[in-house]
Amino acid sequence: MITLYDYELSANCYKQRLMMSLLDVAYESTPIDFFPGLEHKGDDFKKINPMGHIPVIDDAGYVLWDAHAILVYLAAKFDPSGRWYPTSDPELLGETASWMLFAEGTTNTASAARLHVNLGYDFDIEACRTGAHHLFRLLDEHLWFREREGKDWVCSSDHPTIADIAIFPDVVLSEEGGVSRLDYPALRRWTDRVKALPGFIVMPGIFPLGTS
Amino acid sequence: MTHPSGGYVIATVHNPCTDSVILDHWHPLVPVADVSLGEVRTTTLLGVQVSYTSDGAERVRVWRSRDTTEQPLPTRVDYLYLWVSLGSPPDSIFEIPEFSEPDRRNVHAGTIGVHVSAPRAVENFLDMGHFPYVHTDVLGAEPHTEVAEYDVHIDPETNEIWATDCVFYQPRAATTSTEGQMSDYLYRVPHPFCVILYKTSPLHDERMDVIGLFCRSVGPDHIEAHMFLSLLDPDNSEPIIRKFQQSIFGQDKPILENQYPKLLPLDPRAETPIRADKVAIAYRRWLSDLGVTYGVIPERAA
Amino acid sequence: MADAFSSWHPLATAYDLPHRHIFHGQLLGRELAVWRADDNFINVWENRCLHRGVRLSIGTNDGAELTCRYHGWRYANRSAGCTYIPAHPADAPARTICNRTFPAVERYGLIWSGENPDGQPPMVELLETGSPFLLRNLPVNASADVVLEALRDHSFQPQGRLEGQGADMTVAIVGDYGLALTSTDGQASTSAVFFVQPVAADRSVIRCVLAETPPQSEQLKVWRHHADALGKLVNRAEATFATLPAPAPLVATIEEVPIDLSVMPEMATDRRAALRVEVSRKWTTAEGIAAFELTSIGEPLPTFQPGAHIDLHLPNGLVRQYSLTNGPGETAYYRIGVKLDPDSAGGSRALHESVRERDVLAISEPRNNFPLRRDALRTLLIGGGIGVTPMLAMAQALHVMNLNFELHYFAQSNAHLAFEEIRNTLGNSVKVHLGLSPEQTRAEIEAAVAEFDYANQLYVCGPGPMLEATRELAAAAGWPDETVHFEYFKNTNEIDDSSQFDVALARSAVTLPVPSGSSILEVLRANGVAMPSSCEQGACGTCTVPVIDGDIDHQDVYLNQTERAAGDKIMTCVSRATSTRLVLDI
Repeated sequence: MITLYDYELSANCYKQRLMMSLLDVAYESTPIDFFPGLEHKGDDFKKINPMGHIPVIDDAGYVLWDAHAILVYLAAKFDPSGRWYPTSDPELLGETASWMLFAEGTTNTASAARLHVNLGYDFDIEACRTGAHHLFRLLDEHLWFREREGKDWVCSSDHPTIADIAIFPDVVLSEEGGVSRLDYPALRRWTDRVKALPGFIVMPGIFPLGTS
Repeated sequence: MTHPSGGYVIATVHNPCTDSVILDHWHPLVPVADVSLGEVRTTTLLGVQVSYTSDGAERVRVWRSRDTTEQPLPTRVDYLYLWVSLGSPPDSIFEIPEFSEPDRRNVHAGTIGVHVSAPRAVENFLDMGHFPYVHTDVLGAEPHTEVAEYDVHIDPETNEIWATDCVFYQPRAATTSTEGQMSDYLYRVPHPFCVILYKTSPLHDERMDVIGLFCRSVGPDHIEAHMFLSLLDPDNSEPIIRKFQQSIFGQDKPILENQYPKLLPLDPRAETPIRADKVAIAYRRWLSDLGVTYGVIPERAA
Repeated sequence: MADAFSSWHPLATAYDLPHRHIFHGQLLGRELAVWRADDNFINVWENRCLHRGVRLSIGTNDGAELTCRYHGWRYANRSAGCTYIPAHPADAPARTICNRTFPAVERYGLIWSGENPDGQPPMVELLETGSPFLLRNLPVNASADVVLEALRDHSFQPQGRLEGQGADMTVAIVGDYGLALTSTDGQASTSAVFFVQPVAADRSVIRCVLAETPPQSEQLKVWRHHADALGKLVNRAEATFATLPAPAPLVATIEEVPIDLSVMPEMATDRRAALRVEVSRKWTTAEGIAAFELTSIGEPLPTFQPGAHIDLHLPNGLVRQYSLTNGPGETAYYRIGVKLDPDSAGGSRALHESVRERDVLAISEPRNNFPLRRDALRTLLIGGGIGVTPMLAMAQALHVMNLNFELHYFAQSNAHLAFEEIRNTLGNSVKVHLGLSPEQTRAEIEAAVAEFDYANQLYVCGPGPMLEATRELAAAAGWPDETVHFEYFKNTNEIDDSSQFDVALARSAVTLPVPSGSSILEVLRANGVAMPSSCEQGACGTCTVPVIDGDIDHQDVYLNQTERAAGDKIMTCVSRATSTRLVLDI
């Protein structure tokens, strides 16, 4: 079984929990005392990941870190439909890779702002927020045009890809970092659609879609 | 990701607090564990930048960062935290006798920044009605939504608020139970920005676990919330205990940040109470009677 | 510029309100929750739950009601009235807990609203005669006046010459917050109307409608063209705005809650206010049962909860009570079922025979003396004959919330089954029992109530003997008194009003004698105490009053055994005292 070195309030760890839930992959979560214990910086943890960050997975001895790399691995290995990481469609695969890079941007702006507010990380908060708004504006326009084409997702496919999963937590948790989504209605509609996926799970800070 | 600096850098500029009632209270600045020998760190309390360091065993110093003479502010160390006052504080701080019981585990579960006033956070901590909606399947579950009648009184000796005989249906009270059970709670407000919950210990019928929320107001609508636990739990590791508490507070955070206004309105005409809000109403009146103006919207003059 | 607060502004576009979504909007500094109900009604509400100020835009829209994320308070489509407070499942919320609403008009594909708007949203000739086509809205970090000024220099290419450049632009003013721009390049010409929504002092949204819809194949290109052109405009406006001194923020004022809601709830006060409704539809829903849809001719209808009834004031002067059968959020009308009673004193007969569609009737506001708890693990609903009507309202509420329930519907025959269209929405939770003898009915009820379990609740409405049987069988099967809720059609007890006693009113310190032949209710009213009442025969529970001291002679059919034994409330229309004095908490 896969072991996930995990921190409940981490957006990047949640990306893995969400992906595995959507793929119906069983895993075991090993909680890391990320805060206030800084366990991921300790010598013991650095034996697992010398970079000293989470998430990390251990799949029967195969160890991988970096949130977006793990998404690639999980989808490539556990999605028999080949949709989440579309290796058999070069154009779609290229798009997916491109939006995964976009997700690095949202992680380094929107999610960084959240770490600053929640846990006191020393980032330039104004730069993080301005950067997040810039990316959200681009993404809102992109998703609005997708809707006009009758598409629901970040890539041009009629199904979601790992790019949606990589971007979603950074977007949906942005208000914790002081980045409002009021100006991005297409972005809000897209978060509703992600929440409606079968197998969707929440983390603290994310509300379910609500059925009643 | 960058390593946290260890300091709690807050970019937002707040005006210094002028509420003398609040200035004269003790405030939980940081966990004592974060005060490091010889290293000066800076943070914000009530809109004032303060610096703190330790010069040796038990010798903690705190001063206004802008004060070049580094005139020491009154400090004390209690319940795992460094408490500071910007005014003339009382000689003592509220009692938590459980803290010194030998078989207890006193744990600092973390400090989380929230963009809300301290009184809103305290009021949410006093609220049971949200358990099924915000802490779904942990502290509550639909359709068990009823808040039964409970009692509220103010202890005349200590001027602390107590809510007693509180019960609420808890879905995961015990691993062996499929139906869940009613859990007993006691709530206590000993300080305008601090609140304590007592919950029957699963291991001792007669004794209670203690869960505290101690807020440091960074500004009137911005807090750093320290989560304090004093548990009768010999088994679970500290990371597990912390994880539970952080998850619960992580669920409250988006609710608190979506409350408007962020300051707690003390005027009865501002919001609509129901019977379940008895302790919240008592808390609002109590703040009014104390004359607190920081973090609240005071009652209109009659 | 005219007062922005009395103008209409577009605050959303039709595509912003997809199925079951809650749009988070803002106008003049005030945040709004905007949602479309399944009946297509557009709700524009202050984005704030009245209870603890939490944004409603983080709640859920179930197509009929909006539920707050914090404590699960439910607010009805259209009226914005609170229909359920889960922390107190046995209480009916005060009808007046109502969110602040703002008007909404859908025009040219835009949703228009305002703080306190005069008249109607602007009529734009170009859009009236054309075939409006919506472009993408753009948020701008600049004030509305700066954006309007920048729009004067805006240019785009007309349809058919999208690749060209340097088209001639003409500008016309549309109201205070709009401009119509026409782009001409050779033979090609396109007009567009731009409305600038003042979101806050320092933020705006440009909402733009083309006068003519381009052919399908061209639409994507047109959208792209305008997105690019407007993108440049946004950059210009934001750059200009950044050089100006920051305007004072617009701070929305929050209305005070009414004084009666600012304190913890107490007993109900007088509720005389009669509403005027039109019979918008009348039909035969089953043999001997006429159904009526009653639509307001004035203000929107007040909020109701499942179990609620209305008093209907008939043209012949009679007043009768009917349960509402509406489901959650079904707020455009009240729907009732009326059984023709052969012994009718003229009530049901008048409704069946004389009242027609388009007639106007006077009704009371809905009252709920039969509130539905929604914290049960299983709810058993038993309705006999026309007694099914409140059960249908309850069943729909439970069904929408995915709560576990069974509805047992007893009727004479298939032809006597009413409201098939409602029953059809309830899935297989409805069990119909037809043409049973009293003994057979008893056996079915016995089977239905056989298993009492933790957090089960039972509701029953129907003929007297059936209610008696249900209460008796449920008690025998171990259902505690407080889990059995019932509503009688009428009180068939012979009322004995021969006693004489005094009532003391604790809060006003007066003592009034009640002579034989008069009810407490009549005495109170004769002495100027405003008292609510409805059936005035001890069946509905409206005229209840708390009792502090004295022994009560209960003659009603509303209270259960436990409540009677507690002796702390009285139905003032029929019940009396066995002691010489009753102290009432009024």
